[in-house]
Amino acid sequence: MNKRHFLRSLIATALLGTAGLSLHAHADALANAEKAGTIRIAVPQDFPPFGTVGPDLKPRGYDIDVANLIGRELKLKVEIIPVSSTNRIPYLTTGKADLVISSLGKNPDREKVIDFSVAYAPFFNGIFGPSDIAIKTAADTAGKTVGVTRGSVEDLEYSKIAPANATIKRFEDNNSTISAYLSGQVQLVATGNVVAAAVNERTKIRRLDTKFLIKNSPCYVGVNKGEAALLAKVNEVVGKLKKSGELNQVSQRWLQAPLPADL
Amino acid sequence: MAYTFDFASVLEYSDALLAGTVKTLALTAVGTVFGLGIGILGAVSRAWKLSPFDRIFAVYVELIRNTPFLVQLFFIFFGLPALGLQLNEWQAAILAMVINLGAYSTEIIRSGIEATPRGQIEAAESLAMTRSQVFRHVVLPPALLKVWPSICSQVVIVMLGSSVCSQIAAEELTFAANFIQSRNFRAFETYFVVTAMYFLLAIAVRQAMVQAGQRLIARRKK
Amino acid sequence: MNDISTWDIVRNLLDGALWTIGLSLTAFVLGGIAGLALLFARIAKNPIPRRLAQGYIEVFQGTPLLMQLFMIFFGSSLLGLEISPWIAAALGLTLFTSAYLGEIWRGCVESVPKGQWEASASLALTHFEQMRHVILPQALRIAIAPTVGFSVQVVKGTAVTSIIGFVELTKTGSMLANATFQPFMVFGCVALGYFALCYPLSAYSRYLERNIHGSRAH
Repeated sequence: MNKRHFLRSLIATALLGTAGLSLHAHADALANAEKAGTIRIAVPQDFPPFGTVGPDLKPRGYDIDVANLIGRELKLKVEIIPVSSTNRIPYLTTGKADLVISSLGKNPDREKVIDFSVAYAPFFNGIFGPSDIAIKTAADTAGKTVGVTRGSVEDLEYSKIAPANATIKRFEDNNSTISAYLSGQVQLVATGNVVAAAVNERTKIRRLDTKFLIKNSPCYVGVNKGEAALLAKVNEVVGKLKKSGELNQVSQRWLQAPLPADL
Repeated sequence: MAYTFDFASVLEYSDALLAGTVKTLALTAVGTVFGLGIGILGAVSRAWKLSPFDRIFAVYVELIRNTPFLVQLFFIFFGLPALGLQLNEWQAAILAMVINLGAYSTEIIRSGIEATPRGQIEAAESLAMTRSQVFRHVVLPPALLKVWPSICSQVVIVMLGSSVCSQIAAEELTFAANFIQSRNFRAFETYFVVTAMYFLLAIAVRQAMVQAGQRLIARRKK
Repeated sequence: MNDISTWDIVRNLLDGALWTIGLSLTAFVLGGIAGLALLFARIAKNPIPRRLAQGYIEVFQGTPLLMQLFMIFFGSSLLGLEISPWIAAALGLTLFTSAYLGEIWRGCVESVPKGQWEASASLALTHFEQMRHVILPQALRIAIAPTVGFSVQVVKGTAVTSIIGFVELTKTGSMLANATFQPFMVFGCVALGYFALCYPLSAYSRYLERNIHGSRAH
């Protein structure tokens, strides 16, 4: 046993040994949810049009509609849990939610930690900013201040291609990222095309023009590792919703565009 | 599925942790120096009733001490640009730290000044010292010395409070924690390590403050 | 799509403020009970509870409240416990409050003059009886002002729970700031809300302090 490993297990034992608690964070989420009659779904509340709040501060948007449709198909009551993009994966892995429907993009790092369903929504991320800054490629962002929500796919993708002297400011949640842009704290933002469109609907100052797109990164439902039954069920339901045209209606309602055929 | 702890995945980011620590300490140092400066000015204005500054400081102290640091930070960073005052995340964080420590130390130092016996001041004045000389040599050193333990505690509280500066993207130690857990998805391990780091920092900062107090004030008193 | 009126903002902020008040009261009452236990452990004759209580206080006063909340929130579920942001916030603030109140009260007990202990010991009172009849009644009088003063820190501490997703005044504010794009107005109102909650407590604490010092001068 090497030394570091030993130290690690020692700390772990010390942390847990006392109470003799067994660590079954999530045994079989589907069975548990069916027993409880409720499925807990993490959704965004600060990411229009996927999830934002209405005058009653209740989440609404594309992801919330999808969550409710999935709940209906599973014949379970849906408990909506609003999360930010920083903590949505911890919510899942620490067993605070059964599903994450929170405009979650797929990448290899995340696939090591959680499983993904089939795609349920289109998403192109890119760099957006005011019309008076001329930018066409990632190289043009040199010397610029770019706001992004920490841990989002945009963060990971733009961080890879950003020139060394571009300043990336990573905010806790999308609220802060967008507020920072609108109050002029950052010059540009990396976000999704539909997010920019939704922001533009609500603001007259500092509209977000598309500068360039980085990646086609559709959204998937996130499920914990080892939850094969739940994952299969979710895939089945999403497939069914696509076929029935209901997912297309959600897309029309929130993205004002039909669901892309290749999704 | 049993959860296995993985602390190594936190230590892989030791660069980020170190950078965050440096910035947290820098924020604290700048906040302390300027905060105490404001505190001394505020304390003398309040204690000696220098109109109109005593009133201004009284309002300032009440406003700051009765609202949360996090809200002050949001107001400065997101709100003030509406008035045309654009501060970046570090300027906003430093400003918030300074005005906070300034408000608390105004009250702390004032209590020290008010405890200085009047006789000492009168004695000094009889030596034909000017008012500012009296203040610098006779009033301030014993007042600071008397309240230095409270100041040390307050500096530690402000240092720990600076963890919420991560919310406006200032890349201090808590930001490093959030950054790491958004990359390695090991929330618990990351926060555990960083909490332990804060604990050690708190001890170190308190020690440094106690030392500084002995060097700067106690020696001059002689 | 901007269908949130000024009235909606105020109404939602008032709702959020109710949660802030509820959380503050919960943390203050439970933290006070735990703080009392800490106080007794801290002044016990047996060194073991004394050290344990001291360690507890040092840890909670030596780490950021935000980190404590993160640890409770994300750590508890690893232990198989499911807790909501509300429970995590209440638990975190209770522990935080107890550490500070325990220490404040210890200071008050120790400021009771030594002679009082000696005098009461000479009356053959047990340690517990000394505390109950002689020391605590005097310490209590000294303790009221700093305790009310600390309640301000509890109310302000609740703002940090917004970061783990508990929807109180600050969280309501940042949600509204994003939904309305009026951060100056919204955060200005949020700050006013906290001031309205905290200022009376601060002022009352000062009033109590003056009264104690005043009556002592007789």
